[in-house]
Amino acid sequence: MKRRNLLAATAALAATPLAGPHAASPTTVRWWYHFDDPKASPAALVAAFEKANPDIRIHAESIPWGGGSDYDNRLYTTLVSGAGPDCAMVKLENLGRLMEMQALKDLGPWVDAWSGKSDIDPNIWRINTAPNGVRYYLPVQYVVLYLYVRQDWLDAVHLAPPKTFPEFLRAAQAMTEKGHWGFGLRGGPGGQDFWATFVLGGGASLTKGGLVTPAATAANAWFIDLYREWKVCPPSAPTDGFLQTINNMKAGVTGMTIHHIGSANELVAALGNRINAVPVPRGPKGEGWATFGDGSNAVFTHSRNQEAAWRWISFLSTGQNNVAFNILTGQVTVTTSGARHWTAEPERFVKATLDSLPIAKVFPAIPATAEFVSTVWPQTTQKALLGEITPAAMMQIFEKLYFG
Amino acid sequence: MRRLPAGGRAALTPWALLAPALLATGVVVFLPVLDALWMSLHQFVLFRPNVEPFVGLANYVTLLGDPTFWASLGRSLVWVGAGVSAQFALGFAAALLLNRRFAWRGMARALIVVPWALPSVIIGLVWTWMLDFNLGVINALLLRLGLVAHSIAWLAQPGTAMIAVILALTWQGFPFFAVTLLAGLQGIPREHYEAAAIDGAGALGSFWHVTVPGLAPVMATALLLRMIWVANSLDLIFVMTGGGPGTATETLPLYAFLKAWTGLDYGYGSALAVVLTLLLLAVVILYAARASA
Repeated sequence: MKRRNLLAATAALAATPLAGPHAASPTTVRWWYHFDDPKASPAALVAAFEKANPDIRIHAESIPWGGGSDYDNRLYTTLVSGAGPDCAMVKLENLGRLMEMQALKDLGPWVDAWSGKSDIDPNIWRINTAPNGVRYYLPVQYVVLYLYVRQDWLDAVHLAPPKTFPEFLRAAQAMTEKGHWGFGLRGGPGGQDFWATFVLGGGASLTKGGLVTPAATAANAWFIDLYREWKVCPPSAPTDGFLQTINNMKAGVTGMTIHHIGSANELVAALGNRINAVPVPRGPKGEGWATFGDGSNAVFTHSRNQEAAWRWISFLSTGQNNVAFNILTGQVTVTTSGARHWTAEPERFVKATLDSLPIAKVFPAIPATAEFVSTVWPQTTQKALLGEITPAAMMQIFEKLYFG
Repeated sequence: MRRLPAGGRAALTPWALLAPALLATGVVVFLPVLDALWMSLHQFVLFRPNVEPFVGLANYVTLLGDPTFWASLGRSLVWVGAGVSAQFALGFAAALLLNRRFAWRGMARALIVVPWALPSVIIGLVWTWMLDFNLGVINALLLRLGLVAHSIAWLAQPGTAMIAVILALTWQGFPFFAVTLLAGLQGIPREHYEAAAIDGAGALGSFWHVTVPGLAPVMATALLLRMIWVANSLDLIFVMTGGGPGTATETLPLYAFLKAWTGLDYGYGSALAVVLTLLLLAVVILYAARASA
């Protein structure tokens, strides 16, 4: 434990100004969050909560995202040092690590007694429940990844938005010509969601041995061939990230890509009605994988203000508060009541999101997932895309990471 | 109370004056170094805070058999060798130019410092977008000038990715050499050039026999310093490629950083950092010897 002392001392020093003046009544709840839009502020929600709960003060701290790893690692280190926030926004890919750290408070008894519980779709509860059946996460936002398509390009080649892998390849090839590519593949960080659509949705499974079956290997080879063999992706695809794939769509460089409703307004501003969205295509046996992009709040075991923290996070997941929250984050409300009157994005993108829910899935909540997402997937996939390793070797690396 | 003799007080005064700086350095530099050393002897994975067994030198043994370690060390040598050489050559040329008289020399001397003054993250982002395959200004220029038939995916191909990050590093670092060597040039007495001219030396002769020897001490110190900084730096690569494509630009400090910061394997990450420190120690000792001389 000694070697964490330095970390603890540093974190404690950093926390001192917060702890000092606010330690007395009313209770101060430290909440960490990240919004994609740095101009978005939760100040109005904080003010509304504090007005309704004068015994609680919310200290909302915006934490840099840094592709996810900055936020996550700041959270882990402060939790280990004992100077973490009382509650924070979290994602399912961190659930395994946070469970192993025994950092998460079981919210089950509070959730069961909470009036807002029934306003959240049972599917969202299901996905956000830990493998051991405990509710550590309270959903606050969600997205489901879907396929953006240039409707005008498809119309020009007399094709409908693709529903199967062969239709997808045909559409991508038809839209690929000099300077234009059919599919904006994301080989950089975050691209595992593209891979999952075609490989986990195409026959592979995240179970022991499920990544190295003949069907899994074939699905992965097909995915890699989009770039190497059929050349329907820009040459920069191996390292393209979110900004490159979305900017390529906006600039008319690519005809299809995968993302979620969070970028809909930006694309509509650039392309108007020429941009459309549909659920991602399904695999050969009709299975599909549309990554569920979750966002939840959690209360931490070290917190001395757990009940106050719960009151704050449950406030954020309730009715119109949750609608206001998701207008700030650019994602979708988790409340059924709020979804009925959702107008933050054009209807076709909301429909694509809802139509994708039946195949919405997440990576398993085990510690290996975080490493897979942050380093192993991009490094290994980039090597396969560049021909440095075979698609079969790529899958063996993933199998080894997950199942030893 | 017995007073110290005047000689003793004089001997203690420098230590008393240095004490705050020494204390700060000890707390901010040496304590974390010792902590990293100690951590490298443990299997310390951050998300398993209750399981941290002492493993002795096991992390170092693992490291010796880790092909990624050796590959990243090789890339570090390329990164330092090519990066520092290019910066030095460009910086030296810029210093020679800035030492001549021309109309806007003052402004040029001020402007040349701009890349050095910018944060690495900003430089990384700027170069990432300049080199972008679809929207980057460099590809647009090359295409318009007819120098290439189609855009180049600079950061997505192993062969060009390392060149691209070294290019950005060169742009960032050459002002350091330019300014340092310019100061050195201004310190060479004019009489030396006059004497060389009387002895029949031309421009090239003056350069080889007066400028280069006159600048040698400054060059050596600047090169050693910059080698240490570049060998340690990872921010530019991290922003531009994250070590990719694949691991094509993953240098040793970046590998250590990713192991510790992203993989949360602080034990192995610390072992990597310790090895990097030991490798750099040779250069540091050289620098310290020069500085004390």
